Amino acid sequence: MLSFLNLLNKFGAMNESYKIISSSILYWFSQKKWFVFSVILAIFLLNLSTPIGLTVAGYHSLIILLMVFTLVTFEPIPFPAIALLTLVLQVLLGVAPPDVVAESFMNDAVLFVMGSLMFAIAIVHQGLDIRLAKIIIGIFGRSKRLFLGGLMTISAILSSFLGEHTIIAIMLPIGLSVIKNIDTKQTDGRNAVLLTLFSVAYGTIIGSIGTPSGGARNVIMINYLQEFSSINIDYWEWMKHAYPILIVQLVVAYFVLQFAFPTTLKNIQIKGYKKKIAKSNTRDNINHLFSSIIILLIVISWFLFNEELGLGIIALCGALIFMICGMVSWEVINKNTNWGVILLFAATISLGFQINETGASSWLVTKFNVLLALMPESSFDISWSFMAILTGLTANFFTSSATISLLGPMAIELQPSDVSFALSAAIASGFSFLTVISSPTAMILYSTGLVSTKTFFKVGLLMFTSSIAILYLMSKFYWVTL
Amino acid sequence: MNILIAIGGKEYSKPTLDLGMKIANAFEATTTIAYVGKKISQFSEKDVSVVHQNLDNRELYRPGVRTLEWAYDFLESKKYIKKDNSIAFNDHLLIDEENSRMRVLLKGSHSNKIDLILRTGEIIDQLRSEVETSNHDITIIGGGGGNKGMHHKLVQFIDSSVMVVKNYSVNKKYRIVLPVNNSMGSNKAIEIAEKFAKSKKLPIEIITVLENKSSDEKLRTILRKTEQKFTNAGIKNTATILEGDPVQAVVKYAKDDSLVMLGVSPKNLFLKYFFGSKPISIAQQCNCPVLIAK
Repeated sequence: MLSFLNLLNKFGAMNESYKIISSSILYWFSQKKWFVFSVILAIFLLNLSTPIGLTVAGYHSLIILLMVFTLVTFEPIPFPAIALLTLVLQVLLGVAPPDVVAESFMNDAVLFVMGSLMFAIAIVHQGLDIRLAKIIIGIFGRSKRLFLGGLMTISAILSSFLGEHTIIAIMLPIGLSVIKNIDTKQTDGRNAVLLTLFSVAYGTIIGSIGTPSGGARNVIMINYLQEFSSINIDYWEWMKHAYPILIVQLVVAYFVLQFAFPTTLKNIQIKGYKKKIAKSNTRDNINHLFSSIIILLIVISWFLFNEELGLGIIALCGALIFMICGMVSWEVINKNTNWGVILLFAATISLGFQINETGASSWLVTKFNVLLALMPESSFDISWSFMAILTGLTANFFTSSATISLLGPMAIELQPSDVSFALSAAIASGFSFLTVISSPTAMILYSTGLVSTKTFFKVGLLMFTSSIAILYLMSKFYWVTL
Repeated sequence: MNILIAIGGKEYSKPTLDLGMKIANAFEATTTIAYVGKKISQFSEKDVSVVHQNLDNRELYRPGVRTLEWAYDFLESKKYIKKDNSIAFNDHLLIDEENSRMRVLLKGSHSNKIDLILRTGEIIDQLRSEVETSNHDITIIGGGGGNKGMHHKLVQFIDSSVMVVKNYSVNKKYRIVLPVNNSMGSNKAIEIAEKFAKSKKLPIEIITVLENKSSDEKLRTILRKTEQKFTNAGIKNTATILEGDPVQAVVKYAKDDSLVMLGVSPKNLFLKYFFGSKPISIAQQCNCPVLIAK
C-alpha cells in the first residue's frame, strides 16, 4: 500500500497535466459529493429486495424521493438538472410510462407557481413600496411601535393574497429605510434593526398561510385533495380555515419579537423617512393606479372564479395583463423568473402523483399505523402531531412547496376523509421560522447580512412551537365548528 | 503581479486588508479586493436578486457594498489611494459583469490599480473563479475562526499562492520565517520573500528541517545557497537547521511576530486531499500569517 502511494506520489509530482486533471476531478468530487452519495445510495437500495406489500414501482418511486430530498437539500447540481433527473428516473426505473409522467408534469399547481412568480416580478417592478409606505405611515405613523405593528400586519395581509416572495421584495426597502444609519454595535440599536426586519419577515411568512394564493404549497395541496380524495376546497373555504390562525399568529409574533428584541426604538427614523417619501411624486403615477386595479381584479378573480378557471390561469392572467399594458417587459420577467424552481416543482409534483398512484404512500401510512397502534394515547392526536411537526420541520430544511409536493400525498392518506390533516400539513409547512433556507423571505432577510442564522433559529424556535400549538388548537376546536 | 484580497465582515478583515495591501504595495501589484456574500439557496436566488435590485433603486446599498465602502475608506485613510474630494465612494457604480460577480467602478483613476468586487456564492467556488478569470498570483484571506477546512480547500483548489492571515497586528514588528526544501513551491516562496523583505526592510530567518533522510545534504546546500542569495541582495538574514518532524519544528520555531512563507507540497493531489500536507498543517497550526507559495 505504502509503495503504491509513493509511486502515485512520484508520478503525481512529475506530470503537470496529470496534476491539472486530478485537481479538476477532485474539485468536481468535492463540489458534487452529495450527488455521488445519492447515486450510490440509490444503486444500493435498488439492489435490495422490494419490501413486502410494496410494488416494485412504488419502491422505486420512494428511492427517487430519497434522491430528490438529498439533492434539493444539499444542492450539488442545479435545480433544473434535479427536475430532469426526477422525470428521467421515473421512466427508466419503471415507475410510470413516459406519457403518464409527461401528463403529471403539468397541472394547475405548476401553472400557479409559474404565474405567481411572473406576476410577482410585474408587481415589484411597479415600485409600489413608496405608495405603500405612505399608507402605512398615514395609518400607523403615530407611534414607532404602532408603525412596526402596522408594517407586520400589512405585510401579512398582502402576503396572504400575493405571496411572500412578492411582499418581502416590496416591504423590505421600507423596513431598511427606517433603520438606515442605525449603529448596530449598541444593543438597543441592534435590537431596533432586528425588530424592524423580523416584523416585516414574520408578517410575510405568517401571511402566506392565509389564502391559497399565499403560497404554491397551498395550491399543490388543493390539487392533491381534488385528485386523491375528490374534496374541493375553494378560496373562501381555505380562508375560513386559515385566516383565524394567521390573526392569532400575528398577535403572538408581535409579543415574541418585543420579548426577543427589547429596544427603546429611539433610533428608528419614521419622521425622516416620511419627509423623504413625501418629496417623491407618486400621486400622478398612473402606473400605480393601474397596478392596483390589476392586482385587485386578480384577487377578486381568485375569490370568484378559482373553481372554473383555476388559480394558476388567473395568476398567469395577472402577468399577461401587465405585459400587454406595457408595464413590464418580457425581458424583465424572463431575467427575474426562477425557471429552475418551476421545473423542479413540476417534477416533484409529478413524483408526488406517482408515489400515490403506485401505492407507495398507502404502504408508508400502513406501516405508520402499525406503529401507531402500539401507542396507548389517542392515535388521532399522535398521528396529527407527527404529521404536522414532520411537515413543519421538513419544510424548514427543504422549503415548503417541495415538502408538500412530496409529503402531501402521505398526509392525505393518513386521514383521507378528514380535510384537517391535509390543511394542517400545508399550513405547518408554511412555518418557516427555523432556518434561513426555508423560504424566500428567510433567505432575503439573511442576505441583508444583518441577521445571523443563530438569531433566526433562536427566535424562530419560539415562533415555530407556538405556531404548531395554535394550529393544533384551531384544528381541534375551531375547524370542527365550520 | 495580481493580488486578490478576500474580505469578510468589517471587524475581522482589517488585519487581512492591511497586510494584503502591504504585500500588494511591495510587488506594485494590481489588487482586487473581493467581498463574497452569503450563498443563496437556488430556491431563492432570483427573489434575492429582485430585492437587491429594488434596494439599489432606493439607494439602500445591497449587502456587501457597505463592507467595500469600509475597505475604500480604509485604503484612503492608509493612503493606499489618494484622497480626492471629488471622488467619494457614494459616486460608485455597480457594474454587473457576469453571473454572481459585480464590480464597484470608482469614478476617477483609482479603479486602474485597485478593483472592488462583490461576489455571491460559495466562497471557494467564487474565489477559484475569480483567480481563474483574473489570473491572480496570490490570494490573501483571513484566518480567524474555524476555517481550517476552508483553508485546506483554498490551497488545494485555488491556482495561486495562498496567504492565510492569522493573528496579524499592525503594530507588531514582523520577521519572515522561510522554511526551504527542494520543491518547486519553495523556490517560489524564496522569490516572494526576497521581494517582500526588500520592500518592507524585514529580516528573513531561513530554516530547513532535516529528517535523517538521504535528501538531508541537498537541503543543507539549498539553505546555504538561499542564505548567499539574500546576503548578496543586501537582506538581513539568518540560517538555521532544525531536526525532527517538519510540521512540529516549523510551528515551534515560528512565533507570533513571524510571517511564515513556504512552498506548496509536491505531494500527489489525491493524497493531499484525503490526508492533508505539511504546509497545510503548518498554516493550520501556526498562530501567525502563513503564505503557501505555488
